[in-house]
Amino acid sequence: MRGFQESPAGGPSAAIAELDPEERAVIARVVADVGLLLGGEPFGMEIDVADVDDDPLFRHFRGFESALTDPDDPAVLRILPNAAPDDRDVADEFRRFTEPELRSLKVDRLRTIWKALNEDGPEWIIPAADAMSTAAALTDIRLVLASRLDMETDDDAAALYAEIDRAHDTVTGRYLADNAQNPERVWLGMLYQALTWLQESLMSYVMRDDVMRDDVMRDDV
Amino acid sequence: MSTQPLNASDVDVATRTDDVWVTLVWNDPVNLMSYVTHVFQSYFGWNRVEAERRMREVHELGKTVVSSGAREHMEVDVQAMHSYGLWATLRRSGE
Repeated sequence: MRGFQESPAGGPSAAIAELDPEERAVIARVVADVGLLLGGEPFGMEIDVADVDDDPLFRHFRGFESALTDPDDPAVLRILPNAAPDDRDVADEFRRFTEPELRSLKVDRLRTIWKALNEDGPEWIIPAADAMSTAAALTDIRLVLASRLDMETDDDAAALYAEIDRAHDTVTGRYLADNAQNPERVWLGMLYQALTWLQESLMSYVMRDDVMRDDVMRDDV
Repeated sequence: MSTQPLNASDVDVATRTDDVWVTLVWNDPVNLMSYVTHVFQSYFGWNRVEAERRMREVHELGKTVVSSGAREHMEVDVQAMHSYGLWATLRRSGE
């Protein structure tokens, strides 16, 4: 895996990462899973999608039933959080008016990623205009994984990282199955780390010109 | 346009503190510092220095107020933050 870098000068700017086929498959799978979790269609069923997309009413209707109160699944609650924990009425009203739209937006972004990951070749190419929506979708996926990993605080995250480290040889970095108390959790944690690393590299691309602008500002002061 | 002076009680209604709401962004272990900084810059129009200061406030103090005003405006801001996966809430100012 190679993190996102800016495309070579000459063409329109894009962020390009490289994944091997297994990495692509794993990431595409988790992208599709989060899409389903949000009430989206199974990605890859293009015919149904086109019909649904053409009908704005249906698009907004899709998430309506579940929009009346907080979602039962803690992972969904993590990406569609309660907007007013101290005021049930404000929270419910907010959810009723915003949740269908938020669900559609999040599913649309995931679908775009899923399609890009199903292109041929090792490169994952993100046009500059799609970079932030991709970063937002990566955030949603990481929030879902974090929920499944019971990661609620910075300390939880540190404990998970330590657990992953213990399952790897300190010198060679090789995975040591015998050291992993909970292999499934270690695997999910490593997927979380890989997506974090990819999103960091994507943010370096998005913010590539910021530093220069800050320098100019400081010079003015 | 009317030249009638504003009724004092109208002004009071508009500035009563319980009509002012705030949007809060809360810390979570998932959101990246660079990402939160960029969301603050692009959505609220803050420069990099200000956006980073607010991001650090979230990270170190657990939360920060990112906007205040009418409830409807705060709902728009919270919805925008949720679209980015940030943990945002709204409440009456002073609560």
